[in-house]
Amino acid sequence: MKPRILMKANLSHFVDGLKREFRVVGPKKKGSQHVFDEIYNPESLDLSYVTTILPPRKLFTPPSESIFSFDSVGEAIPTAVDTRRLLVFGIHSCDLNGLLLLDRVFEHDYSYPRYVERRRNSVIVAMTCTSIGDTCFCDSMGTGPEPRKGYDILLTDLGDRLLIEVGTVEGSRLAEMAGSDEAQASDLALKEKLLSEAKTTFRKKIDTNGLSEIFEKNLDNPLWKELAGKDLACAQCVMSCPTCFCLDIRDKWGSNLGNTVRCVEWDSCFLLEFAEVALGGNFRKDRSARLRQFMGHNLSWGGVAQYGPVNGQQKCVGCGRCIRVCPVGIDITEVARELRGG
Amino acid sequence: MKDPYVPNTAEIVNVKKQSHDTKTYSIRLVKKEKREEFRAKPGQFVMVSLPGLGEAPFSLSSGPEKEDSFDSTIRAVGNVTTALDQFGIGAKIGVRGPYGKAWPIEEAKARNILLVAGGIGLAPLRPVIKTIQANRGTFKHFEILYGTRTPADEIFTDEYDQWQRIPNTTMHLTVDSVPKGVLWPHRIGVVTALFDDTKTTPEDSIVMTCGPEIMMRFAAQGLVARKFRKDQIYLSLERRMKCGMGHCGHCQIGRMFVCRDGPVFNYLDLEGLPDLTL
Repeated sequence: MKPRILMKANLSHFVDGLKREFRVVGPKKKGSQHVFDEIYNPESLDLSYVTTILPPRKLFTPPSESIFSFDSVGEAIPTAVDTRRLLVFGIHSCDLNGLLLLDRVFEHDYSYPRYVERRRNSVIVAMTCTSIGDTCFCDSMGTGPEPRKGYDILLTDLGDRLLIEVGTVEGSRLAEMAGSDEAQASDLALKEKLLSEAKTTFRKKIDTNGLSEIFEKNLDNPLWKELAGKDLACAQCVMSCPTCFCLDIRDKWGSNLGNTVRCVEWDSCFLLEFAEVALGGNFRKDRSARLRQFMGHNLSWGGVAQYGPVNGQQKCVGCGRCIRVCPVGIDITEVARELRGG
Repeated sequence: MKDPYVPNTAEIVNVKKQSHDTKTYSIRLVKKEKREEFRAKPGQFVMVSLPGLGEAPFSLSSGPEKEDSFDSTIRAVGNVTTALDQFGIGAKIGVRGPYGKAWPIEEAKARNILLVAGGIGLAPLRPVIKTIQANRGTFKHFEILYGTRTPADEIFTDEYDQWQRIPNTTMHLTVDSVPKGVLWPHRIGVVTALFDDTKTTPEDSIVMTCGPEIMMRFAAQGLVARKFRKDQIYLSLERRMKCGMGHCGHCQIGRMFVCRDGPVFNYLDLEGLPDLTL
């Protein structure tokens, strides 16, 4: 289908139409920041956002969820998954690439069925980034600012109008709902102009050439101890990462066995207990080893090496959230540069 | 969609004390179709689930000799294991798996086999011993080295005579120390001290080792010093897997997931990875 145009004045009407079919989740203001949240009123959708506090992975693996409860003899009773179709509106390229990587993690010989079900039940309305945030570096990681795959439709903000490009059959249907105005060559040219202008405004970057190997040669770099000296091991970087997938699986006691549930919760390699084994053994007792694990997973051994080809080579998709949230100013782009020797 | 996180109900059909803190549990899946589906290879592990306490990974200590059930030999040291220690015959537990890469039985065929075990590390190697016992002609010389802290820490003691009667098989024992008054006719010292008694040479041999990581380190380094190639040595690593399926991230060592790429690894494949004491 040829690209279409949706005048911004008609955006609310379009979103209202989508809401009849989907649970629409998109970027909304929360204080001075943005969050992905359910859109009840189309006016609350804010497509001018740069990034959100938490990445949209929360929609597919919630921070904490019960996967089953127990009956009185201990047999599992699966907890139902929300079956309403989900539409994620306005997802940026970094976060979309994050989801494509999580697809690799959670769907293979063994699948995490709750994630897979939610993904299959979802529609992606992606958004080209034409305004680059202070901590963004997706172009370095090969994951943005323009999404290349994984979307049903792709929107680009052209001022008074949105350009709609279609990625799937379902996307064609949605584009038709948006209206019948075909995009002109000038609209497509404007998109390219805005994109190329945006690409000149990145303030952070990582040179990924040979980075995995450089990292593996630097496992004993004094940098790890040095950074561990100020690191708080607070795990905010992990919680805000669109590709950090680590989970804890544990039981939460209720007042009796019938109220007891098995939970899957976000976990973090920064936490002391993460790599513990029986009898007090701990393979990453030292904070520097835990910091190295986070950095190494993101910059070296986590992407292609662990799951085979994804869009970028590294697990890191360059969203910059870990830099924004770090209370002591640890910056993954500076770590990568230091490892390379400044 | 079938949820692989939901455990299958199983029954403890036998409990056998192995040492002061270790028992072997024989476990039988309750549903017939689940028993038929369950095909474990030596070296694989299962997740055992206790409602309210959660799950923990345990390797299987039985091999092809068991058709209807399997064994897991467990030391009571954590939440799940100390609770299990209270369980008797007839108790119901949850089980999912088996998971992970097995010992290289195919590769070991028509070769000499050396097992180096430390403490409870003998449990995941017992399926190898049972496999060799059942298919003796398939393998060449077989040698078992086993070390524990004290004689009281040894497991499967009532089976050693039977194992030593497997043709062309030798077993060597050692302990770190012997309490006063205890008779100990074997060696004293770490398990690598047994290398001087070992007949297995690097020629046409495969080594499988399991025990504390520090023990495996000395064992592997000692074997390399004796001209074994790294790729002849297989090790089984311990990490606290939470899912067993490559989702939870707890068992990562660099690009490896111990649950997916191990727990049995070729020594060569572990080169250059972080967070190992090997």
